[in-house]
Amino acid sequence: MSKATVIPFGPQHPVLPEPLHLDLVVEDETVLEVIPQIGFIHRGLEKLVETRDYNSFIYVAERICGICSFGHSLGYAETVEKLMGIEVPERADYIRVILHELSRIHSHLLWLGLAADAFGYEALFMHTWRLRERILDIFELTTGGRVILSAVCVGGVNRDFDAQVLSTIKEKMDSIRSEYKQICNAFLKDSSVKNRLVGVGTLTREEAIKYDCVGPFARASNVAIDCRMQASGAYSRLSDFQPIVEKDGDCYARLKVRLLEVLQSMDIIEELIATMPAGDIAVKVKGAPVEGAQASNALEQPRGECYYYALGNGTKNLERMRMRTPTTANLAGMTMAMKGCDLADVNMIVLSIDPCISCTER
Amino acid sequence: MALITTFEDITIADLDALKHQKQAEGWRCVQIFTTHNDDDGSNDLTYTFHKDDTQANYRIKGITDKDVIPSITDVYFSAFVYENEAHDLFGVNFEGIAIDFSGHFYDLAMNEPMTIMSPEKKAAREKAARVAAAKAAKAAKEKAAAEAAAAPAAPAIDESKLAGLDPEKAAKVRAAMEAKAKREAAKAAEAAAAAAPKPAPVIDEAKLAGMDPEKAAKVRAAMEAKAKREAAKAAERKGE
Repeated sequence: MSKATVIPFGPQHPVLPEPLHLDLVVEDETVLEVIPQIGFIHRGLEKLVETRDYNSFIYVAERICGICSFGHSLGYAETVEKLMGIEVPERADYIRVILHELSRIHSHLLWLGLAADAFGYEALFMHTWRLRERILDIFELTTGGRVILSAVCVGGVNRDFDAQVLSTIKEKMDSIRSEYKQICNAFLKDSSVKNRLVGVGTLTREEAIKYDCVGPFARASNVAIDCRMQASGAYSRLSDFQPIVEKDGDCYARLKVRLLEVLQSMDIIEELIATMPAGDIAVKVKGAPVEGAQASNALEQPRGECYYYALGNGTKNLERMRMRTPTTANLAGMTMAMKGCDLADVNMIVLSIDPCISCTER
Repeated sequence: MALITTFEDITIADLDALKHQKQAEGWRCVQIFTTHNDDDGSNDLTYTFHKDDTQANYRIKGITDKDVIPSITDVYFSAFVYENEAHDLFGVNFEGIAIDFSGHFYDLAMNEPMTIMSPEKKAAREKAARVAAAKAAKAAKEKAAAEAAAAPAAPAIDESKLAGLDPEKAAKVRAAMEAKAKREAAKAAEAAAAAAPKPAPVIDEAKLAGMDPEKAAKVRAAMEAKAKREAAKAAERKGE
């Protein structure tokens, strides 16, 4: 009669981009239970809002995580603008969304590379990251930084995109598209990939709703949840937006959702470039949030819904800033998806939520 | 349609009904976070729920160390992450969390460095910590004794109390005050004597007890000689 053993997974593991500890209660090769533990990368960044004024804190917010960097600066800026009743110029909205969608493409390409590396397909990992380099080249061309962009300020954006830059972005998108479709074929049609991902870590629609999952993790289980449906900012200018949803709820479905979202983001960028309005890129922001004023916001980051909250105290330092990132919301769903799986599939299921522990712990 | 955000203040007692109502109406639990109030050291908890285009925030204000918040994990399982986080980082007490890590979810503090240490090095490190702790305790005790000695003493005879009294009664009260002052002075002298460092005994019988008789005799003689030398030195210093 076999007995249960506890196998520690992490905080250091080849498939983990960031440290996370899981205690896997295992019987033979089957995982019975998963107990997560975090705290390896907690830096107390939310507390820094007490010593950095609301303009300077944006540089802290974008350093919470290297992958979701732009998303955090955008979400923070939008929340403070809501708090202070600031309306951002339309051109700034368009630039923000273009950069955010580029950030989504780069994040998904990064994840695709890590997933390929995790199931042993190193050539695909290298090709995916080679394409990702073109996105980082666009970032460097437009904002000067490859990862940390410092492009957003409270009230707008720091840099404008002239016609030359916009046409360069469009050309690079076109060059990526044809090569990207080849990568999609490799991911979706290769039998070795399917053997590793189909039927692994399945979460039903009811379970995804019960465990409050968000982002591609939920959309792969047929839950149509996407903050871009709220159509805020330049998203309201799109001709049509429908979230990409798959029905099977396994790791293959999550892979497919992210693959298709890259193409959707490319379409969004091209549409916004074609309809970009003229005008200012920022408004001057004066004063401080009113004491007791509160604002909350939601932004669809590459990993899912990110919740932001700001509380003012009458000074230039916010009283409280809160960011609840999508990985935190998906931790419960991830532990449930791993119950009953094989030990060898644990790393794929962990990766399939696209874990960003830096964001979870701040 | 743009996101609609609402804010409402509730109490701990409202939480139970709120969670059931939200679940019945199909709301998703977004998150729970804590705000610390520096003024009075209390915490505020904010619960957020989302449905369609509405994001509803509910805040419980003024939570103290004595308050125990009922967990919502029986209805919203994913809240165990936020409730454990609120407990570990802000000290908010919850009861009934589905997976309660008892302070070990956000395991930030380490008891020892994560390195391989030899037993000798570990023992030396522990000894140094014990010595430092004993030294700190001794310094604190001496400081407390010095502060007590330096504190101005209350007047032995409180003339203001005696002023309004009948002369016969005043005499009796005065005698009682003098007796009390004598008793307290005797007590203070006793305490000072107890707190003062005791001189080491001339012959340390405890050391000699476990020794060989021949060796004990030699050590005893050495101790007596040392005591004589020190007494002579003290007398010389006094003479100067």
